[in-house]
Amino acid sequence: MAAILILAIIGLPWLGAVCVWLVGDQRPRTQHYLAAGFSIAAGLAALVLLLFVSAETVIRIPAGNFFGDLTFVPDGLGAFLAAVATIVGCLAVIFSIDYMRGEEQLGRYYSFILFFIGAMAGLVLTSSLLFLFVFWEITALTSYALISFYNDDPKAVAGGIKALIITQVGGVGMLAGALAAYANTGSYEIGIFLEKAHTLPAATLSVIAFGFLIAAAAKSAQTPFHTWLPDAMEAPTPVSALIHAATMVNAGVYVLARFYPAFEDVPGWRTAVILVGSISALLAALMALVANDLKRVLAYSTISQLGYMVYAIGVGGVFASQFHLLSHSVFKALLFLAAGAVIHSVGTRDMRQMGGLGKDMPFTRSVFIIGGLALAGLPILNGFWSKELVLEAGLVDGPVWAFGLMVFVAGLTAFYTYRMTSMVFGGSSPAERHIHDAGQAMKASLGLLAIGTLTTWLLAGPFGQMLSTSLPAHQLHAVGTWVVVEEVVTAPATLLALGVIALGLAAWQWRKHLAGLGRLLGGFGQLATDGFGFESLNRGIVNATLKAADTIRPLQTGLLNWNVVGILGGLVVVLAWLAWSTGIGR
Amino acid sequence: MLDWLLVIAAVVCAYQVMRAQRLILATLWLASTSALVATLLYRLGAPEVAVMELSVGAGLVTVLFVFAFSIVGEVTLDPRGIVPRPLVWAMILAIILLMGWFILPLTNSQNPVVKVPFSTMLWDQRGLDVLAQIVLIFSGAIGLLGLLAEREIVVGRKPRPTVALTSGSSQPEVLDGRWQITANETSVEEN
Amino acid sequence: MAAFLQNPLNVFALGVLGLLGMGIYGLLITRNMIKMVAVLQILVKSAVLALVLAGKAGGNINLGQSLAATVIVSDTIVAVIGLALGVQIQRRFGTADLKEIATLKG
Repeated sequence: MAAILILAIIGLPWLGAVCVWLVGDQRPRTQHYLAAGFSIAAGLAALVLLLFVSAETVIRIPAGNFFGDLTFVPDGLGAFLAAVATIVGCLAVIFSIDYMRGEEQLGRYYSFILFFIGAMAGLVLTSSLLFLFVFWEITALTSYALISFYNDDPKAVAGGIKALIITQVGGVGMLAGALAAYANTGSYEIGIFLEKAHTLPAATLSVIAFGFLIAAAAKSAQTPFHTWLPDAMEAPTPVSALIHAATMVNAGVYVLARFYPAFEDVPGWRTAVILVGSISALLAALMALVANDLKRVLAYSTISQLGYMVYAIGVGGVFASQFHLLSHSVFKALLFLAAGAVIHSVGTRDMRQMGGLGKDMPFTRSVFIIGGLALAGLPILNGFWSKELVLEAGLVDGPVWAFGLMVFVAGLTAFYTYRMTSMVFGGSSPAERHIHDAGQAMKASLGLLAIGTLTTWLLAGPFGQMLSTSLPAHQLHAVGTWVVVEEVVTAPATLLALGVIALGLAAWQWRKHLAGLGRLLGGFGQLATDGFGFESLNRGIVNATLKAADTIRPLQTGLLNWNVVGILGGLVVVLAWLAWSTGIGR
Repeated sequence: MLDWLLVIAAVVCAYQVMRAQRLILATLWLASTSALVATLLYRLGAPEVAVMELSVGAGLVTVLFVFAFSIVGEVTLDPRGIVPRPLVWAMILAIILLMGWFILPLTNSQNPVVKVPFSTMLWDQRGLDVLAQIVLIFSGAIGLLGLLAEREIVVGRKPRPTVALTSGSSQPEVLDGRWQITANETSVEEN
Repeated sequence: MAAFLQNPLNVFALGVLGLLGMGIYGLLITRNMIKMVAVLQILVKSAVLALVLAGKAGGNINLGQSLAATVIVSDTIVAVIGLALGVQIQRRFGTADLKEIATLKG
């Protein structure tokens, strides 16, 4: 049964991609509804799969001696992430019915989104390292194609290429790790790797561990690879909600969580993970404070919250990080889609030109506020519970300076969330303009996500149960939901965090009184707008590469005879090396 | 003795292919190289593939070449080569020596002779090869058709009929259906 | 040297090497695209001879023949496509000299 469900989860979106493309752009309505249908079917299949979670390999397709077997294991981590991917995916597709109404080339749009959903589900469900890499690369390809969807806009194309290059560089780390694991353990299976990890020589294991950390950091937009995510906001908003908030960027966190038992003893690895997570969280929160583009603020907040998840893994709280991943997927998708509704009707992404939208778009304002409260971490909403779990894990197992930093970032989060909400919905509206509230399909997705934001924390118990029974290597201890609630409510970290969040909210409310402080930090603000030097670092690397390419340009003469000289030269080198190493003698 | 003559003749014919000024002569030298190689193959004890080599190399390829330069004309200027001669000799020497190092000892190996008839070998044991060849021939034929298509293939938007309003008429006049920039046709004398 | 001449198969090995050398000379010297296809054919003949020679030396000559047959077919297709491309190049550029058609420069 689980095998059929897994094939449905991966195969239905891929089938849908082909069908939508074949239907053609002459029939957009058919395309809309076909895409929605396939994604809803995949979402239902994923939900049903949650009932069949187990730790055994349910599908095994041999792929030849060199590639190992293509295996799928529906364990708790994989099934849960597949459910998130497909459900948020189908909500984003439903949202697109209204958002992309009247746009051209819908076939390309929907097929890439469906292709992505299937690949993401495959990524989290597979237990072969090599095919994990294959699915990883497919998600990178579809992400690039969707970021550059408006391919006559040079900013979009540039954003897409930047995302592709940075995530591919990270992918090299993953491939190196996978091949090293294969060379040392003789198999691509993740389960076997986790068991035998302690028998590998320390140097090899370090290489694999840091290779995976680089790949995860690049994919999840952590420092120093975070520069691609803000520029990827040129994509259509449902794409941003799906790929760059709820699913693809979680792939990095997923990899870290999955391989945590193998790498936790590598010296320096946990510290490196904590550093990467906390620095990303801090830098991104600071950059969100000064950004004026609505989607950029949300992108920075995504980087920041991912930093929380990475930090949680670094201190050993795998359950806390995955729980925060669940909450974050839901409320961040909600925020992005609501922002999409706003952008769609106002026509601009600049927050300084918005304001006073609360009167014209009441539904959107309500769901945006719900998402914002969850992001800031206020009680009752799912963001609160998961963030407190993360902070608690940090207080108990991690270094104190990191904990202090994360609490400070929680305050910053509250500050910029309130700033964002009040700039968009509060205040008075400038000169008259025609604003309509979100359409029906948009409201449906937004409403469902808002309900999710209010309720997913109730799943803490069963979720923990699912994880602990199907991930034997991680040795998690599951507790029921109300135990979690009690734990969070009575922990000292909670009070501290709530206090700081209240401070953050108050700081925005009374910002005029703090104007003096604002002027003092003015120079710092300029630094934040420039991305703390990381953008200049990117530009420097690009320029150096171009200059190197220019210097070897004369080698490419374009004349066939010289190319043949090159080929034959290579042949001579290979033959000479072969003759020398095998020493064939008479 | 015969084998030595055949080998030397084959190498000389191959050299002449390169030296020939006119393409038709090059083609004839290529055909004779084919014939000599086919004879060599027969002398090695492989009659079936010798026949294949003869018919394909001396027959089919010759016809192909004649077809090709019947379309485009056959004059070649044969100017100086681009790669400097010493480099050419050095590469040839290096490769022949290295390849010889690998190949020549193999002829001394003593292996038991396996007697499998050719047809069994080709169709039973290497059947997948034959299948691949059939696919290859089909794709080659289709590729050839595509490459030698006469008409130009224009990639672009569907042409719309351009409409020009000539002064005085109330009906727009439809010009020919290509993308064109129509000149502005307002007649000045009719204000 | 005498031992070398004793083995009847060595002539054919020298034939392979000779044709290989001629083929490489042609690859490096030829400037006409259509003649380049003829040079490739010479290299293919050397490969065919080598395959059958290997089959004979290994005892299983019919295996060598089958592989050689496959190579002949595929390289004939290569010649077909190569000639079609050469013809198209001559049509588009007006010449088949590879110095004139070096648009992939730099």
